[in-house]
Amino acid sequence: MKRSTIITILCVLVMVPMLLLTVSIKENKAEQKTINATPQIDKLEPRSAEWGKYYPRQFDSYMATKKSDDIRDLLKENPALVVMWAGYGFSKDYNAPRGHYYILEDNLNTLRTGAPLNPQTGPMPTACWTCKSPDVPRLIDKMGENDFYTGKWARHGGEIVNPVGCADCHDNKTMKLTVTRDYLKRGLDSEGSKPFADASHQDMRTLVCVQCHSEYYFKETKWTDSNGKEQTAKVVTFPWNNGFAAEDIEQYYDERDFVDWTHKLSKTKMLKAQHPGYETFITGVHGKNGLACADCHMPYVREGGVKYSSHKVGSPLEDIANTCLNCHSGTEKEFIATVQRKLERKEELHKMAMDVLAKAHLEAAKAWELGATEEEMAPALKDIRHGQWRWEFSIAAHGSFFHAPEETLRVLGSAINKGHDARLKLRIILAKYNAADYEAPDFSSKEKAQAVIGLPFDKIVGEKNKFLKGLKEDWFKEGEKNGVHDPKSREGMVLKTSYPN
Amino acid sequence: MKLLATCSVLVVIGMFLFLVNESKMLSYMSSDPEVCITCHTMNTHYATWQHSSHRSRATCVDCHLPRDSFINKMLAKARDGYNHSVAMTFKTYGYNLRITDDAATRIQDNCISCHEGIVGQMLENAKLYSKTESHVQMGRKCWECHRGVPHGITRNLTTTQTNLVLE
Repeated sequence: MKRSTIITILCVLVMVPMLLLTVSIKENKAEQKTINATPQIDKLEPRSAEWGKYYPRQFDSYMATKKSDDIRDLLKENPALVVMWAGYGFSKDYNAPRGHYYILEDNLNTLRTGAPLNPQTGPMPTACWTCKSPDVPRLIDKMGENDFYTGKWARHGGEIVNPVGCADCHDNKTMKLTVTRDYLKRGLDSEGSKPFADASHQDMRTLVCVQCHSEYYFKETKWTDSNGKEQTAKVVTFPWNNGFAAEDIEQYYDERDFVDWTHKLSKTKMLKAQHPGYETFITGVHGKNGLACADCHMPYVREGGVKYSSHKVGSPLEDIANTCLNCHSGTEKEFIATVQRKLERKEELHKMAMDVLAKAHLEAAKAWELGATEEEMAPALKDIRHGQWRWEFSIAAHGSFFHAPEETLRVLGSAINKGHDARLKLRIILAKYNAADYEAPDFSSKEKAQAVIGLPFDKIVGEKNKFLKGLKEDWFKEGEKNGVHDPKSREGMVLKTSYPN
Repeated sequence: MKLLATCSVLVVIGMFLFLVNESKMLSYMSSDPEVCITCHTMNTHYATWQHSSHRSRATCVDCHLPRDSFINKMLAKARDGYNHSVAMTFKTYGYNLRITDDAATRIQDNCISCHEGIVGQMLENAKLYSKTESHVQMGRKCWECHRGVPHGITRNLTTTQTNLVLE
């Protein structure tokens, strides 16, 4: 036989199995595509039940956040807060957070959002919706960031009608984790050490939460609308340019002379720390070891023969076996005792700081009353501003005592120190005005404290109740009419508030 | 005839290159865990590992391939690769994968090499007792007690129906 014939035959012999292998690979790839296929869900679909049709376990576990429904009135537990927040919404109403299921409900019900009568009234800006609903990224996508952040809270009433849900963290096409609030990307990039573009999947399991569980402020931003009219938007912004620490952010605000509100009693130009969960978490041992929020707050659970990430976001102590015990040895009892002790340590310094700062405000008010000058008061007020900022930065993210006990206690310590510095300076001023023995009035209960700051509580409650029965109901009806609200997301909702309703 | 032979050789080379590309053959040289889920078969094992405490300490190959020498590692990789390709092509595997004796020996060695500080004394003590298997003192393997490490006890191929890392 000729050499070329042999080669041809050999080639054909090799070709046949290669061809079969190619067919097999193609088949496997097709199968893989089917296995990994994602359902057809509309972009930024705000109704979580629509996603839940394809992910029933994740959806059901998310709906189980309904069980976290206790209203814990923190003003009642710590009346000093009322004094510390005099002149600011938080002195009216402040409860411990409930499950994600209630996130929109509680935003509507809190006395802080007031009792608007129409889209133009009420105390708060549109930015207060930012973390409450997947309708927010939907609206931003539709109208643009600046337009969304312009106007009063009530302006978006009938549009924002679903509680935080699937579309806040998941891409509709790939189901991958996604950040739907651009201010987080800008914040990370401004700080520089963890640019958003470098985020891995493990980082994303934290960052989707960081969209909301962080310190922020509303930055006034001028823009021109389509009619050529100049508008001012209040855009949610992360103050991270100088770093994530309490002192870095304090410096950021000082550099910009930023003021959240002027204190009603002490006239201090105050800062309000929100809930710097991320900023504190990254300083702790779990953050340093590369854990993500989802590792402990959304444990991987087994249901029959299936495993999935629980979407019942809550305390890991409710499921120690599937969280702590993945890495640690020890008994559940030991874990609870350890965490309890950490909480007690924080509470000790926390109560001390609140007492010192509330008294500082009242003593400053007395000094003003006696005729102290702005020049005399300035150094003490600066200490109050920094002291209260640091106190709140350390505790406002409720989990900081566990996430980062050292940092929490360090910052609380510096808050107490600042508070005492202020009181020392104020005592000298009081002495100058013949009131060296002045004693701050009693603020040992929520009612007494609200009387001390002159808060017309009953009037505020009366107005709010009108809002709850009127505009609030109308908004949900409007949302349903427009096909964006899913009434099932509020099925079984019971009106619960810290004030009489 | 000569032309036909040349053409056939070219076609074979072309097909081979196509296969290299289509099967992502070269990616198997890497140690990246994501390579191990090129086929969907390992999805559950990947997902369970990714949710375990081993994820930040040991990748797939750190446990599943020998670590004593590069040559042994590559030989094992080639052997496993061939077995996996055959199983994948002829669909000879079921929903519950079981490890081969050869792979079990490697994993046991790797458990010991990382956890030597803890198990060193245990191994010394075990020497005082009878050996039932050449590699394993007392014939027991770590995971006969530590059953959930690191993949959990539920690891059927249909266990993790939704996992976000997978493309």
